[in-house]
Amino acid sequence: MSSALAVSAANLVKRFGDRRAVDGVSIAVPQGLIYGVLGPNGAGKTTTLRMLLGIIEPDEGDRMLLGHDRPREASDRVGYLPEERGLYPNMKCREAIAFMGALRGLPWKTGRKRAGELLDAAGLGHAADDKIRKLSKGMAQLVQLLGSVVHEPELLVLDEPFSGLDPVNQERLELLIRAQQQRGATILFSTHVMAHAERLCDRLSIIAGGKVQFEGTVNDARATLPFKVYYTPHHHGEAARALLPADAERDGEGWRFTMPNDGVEALLVRLIGAGHGISGLSIERPSLHDAFVRIVGRDAIREDAA
Amino acid sequence: MTRFRHAARQALTVARRDFTATVLTPTFLLFLLSPLLMIGFGVIGSLSATTAATGGDAKRRIVVIADSREAQVVQAVDRRLRTIFSDPSVRPELRIDMPAGDRSAQARKLLASDGIDVAAVLYGPFDRPHILRAPSATVEAGYLEQLAEQVVRAERTGTAPLSRADVQVVQRGQLTTSGRSQAAYFAAFGIFFLTLMLSGQVVGAMAEERSNKVIEVLAAAVPLESVFFGKLIGAFGSALLFVCFWGTLVANVPRFLPEGMAAEVGEIGTAVGPVFALLFVAYFTMAYMLQSAVFLGMGALAGTQREIQMLSLPITVFQFGMLGLASYAAGHPDAWLATFAEMFPFSSPLAMAARAANAPEIWPHLLALAWQALWVGITVTIAARLFRRGVLKSGGPRRRKAAAAA
Repeated sequence: MSSALAVSAANLVKRFGDRRAVDGVSIAVPQGLIYGVLGPNGAGKTTTLRMLLGIIEPDEGDRMLLGHDRPREASDRVGYLPEERGLYPNMKCREAIAFMGALRGLPWKTGRKRAGELLDAAGLGHAADDKIRKLSKGMAQLVQLLGSVVHEPELLVLDEPFSGLDPVNQERLELLIRAQQQRGATILFSTHVMAHAERLCDRLSIIAGGKVQFEGTVNDARATLPFKVYYTPHHHGEAARALLPADAERDGEGWRFTMPNDGVEALLVRLIGAGHGISGLSIERPSLHDAFVRIVGRDAIREDAA
Repeated sequence: MTRFRHAARQALTVARRDFTATVLTPTFLLFLLSPLLMIGFGVIGSLSATTAATGGDAKRRIVVIADSREAQVVQAVDRRLRTIFSDPSVRPELRIDMPAGDRSAQARKLLASDGIDVAAVLYGPFDRPHILRAPSATVEAGYLEQLAEQVVRAERTGTAPLSRADVQVVQRGQLTTSGRSQAAYFAAFGIFFLTLMLSGQVVGAMAEERSNKVIEVLAAAVPLESVFFGKLIGAFGSALLFVCFWGTLVANVPRFLPEGMAAEVGEIGTAVGPVFALLFVAYFTMAYMLQSAVFLGMGALAGTQREIQMLSLPITVFQFGMLGLASYAAGHPDAWLATFAEMFPFSSPLAMAARAANAPEIWPHLLALAWQALWVGITVTIAARLFRRGVLKSGGPRRRKAAAAA
């Protein structure tokens, strides 16, 4: 892995009217990594990605994309899947992929050849000469993704790539992203689905309210929360409650509480001594979802749900 | 690769997609052949009008009341006059009636008769004839008056021609002023007509990208200026195909014209000579690009199909305004308004095409083409910036720097 940065940005600001959609975002994406930009809806993820790619200009701040401070100059080395999927409905799949490659400097002939190979590899070879309008939404989305990688970009930017896909196509997409990383590409993607980020990301940023609230690895994010303990006594009554930490909450037949600062051993000795016994015990590592909720704040999650 | 070549390649990629998406559809065939419909309806309309008019003309008559001796002279004179005045719609067929009693009453009865449509009746001595006519038959009455005059002369000198001319056809060495003026007007009108028919198509071009949501894919890969130029070039490609198809057909029309009409067409010519064809194509290109760039920009900012449709009227009015300016320039090449029309970017291609017919200098055309090309660039750049700010909600780098400085 190289320590050079594929993407970097410092203090990016974007205002829409009086609202600061992005409010001082800084980001650094090392080459060769899969980097996630996480955040609730309206957090500023898409605007940030658009500014990084040069689709829109920031009102303040600086950015570098593959060594260029003008992102357009690197556009042939970048692949992009926007959040709002868009293809010409009357184009054939092979042509659509070749067209997207041609926009990035790939000769049409090479583009058509690679399109065929990519479609075969993705299990869509049978639809190569079908028009886009005949495809299902998931298949069309996959075709657009293939169009964004047909020119073998050094940087692949995917905005909410998993939205609208069924589990089978989500799995296909994960494989494709990993294959791009193995080829040497850097992948920068946004999502608000934690499971994908947890499985894929080498590093991530969590954005909320237009600001970066966290930057680090998935483990770093999890480490912002203490471990949890799930304890099940022999007897299922409330008797053990008095000995448990204050934040213990009933969950099924057991209790869930935060790991005490001095560990769990002393607590277990007290519980056994008091005759509650141990029917079950598990130490739970916090999930990225838990970390995300804590970092973003429950209020933001509720706003997002609304 | 230089930045310009890079942008040009991207523009051509967009153009290629648009061109094939337009041309390789059954709709384009309909578009290509649509003038046939126009011609077809025109032919049907004129045939109907001609049939109606011919039916009316066939029943229309002018009548001379004359005895048998006078009748022979009248017929001879009428034959000779009709070699000059041959249009049957204004010189209806002549009928000669024998006098029957009161000639005035006979003439009035003829005008009132149902069986034939009598436009005018002449009676009385030919040196002081009486002519009764229908209110609309001024020309017919005039013809009868002239007929009487010629009959009197024929009676004095005989009906044999007194003069026989030796007529030769000579090709003129230089163009006539009227021929140049006609060519100037045809050039301006031709470019106007073609751009009116073809350039309006691009109004909805960006709407396709927005409705398909392809715009972000394009905007991420290609500068908006290249997208706009690509769309213009793509649309121009299909317009050029249309023009070439119909141009080839129209160029061969004189072969099928009657000899006299072909000779009249031959009188029309341009001051710059054969270069005119090249200049016409160049000015059509510029007119198309300039007007389409405006329409593309306006269409790109429109949010809905209804807004796009609403734009059609001001666009057409604007185009007619440009034709008005250029037509004036064609008829008054030395007027200040003609100079204005040649310099105003959007009327310049039409007015300069007219100038090519009127004046032989070539250098003003090179200057004008460069001027117009500059304005194509300016218009596309402004349109792209408005689109970036209005639709993509993005300020330019200048604004960013200003904000940073603040």
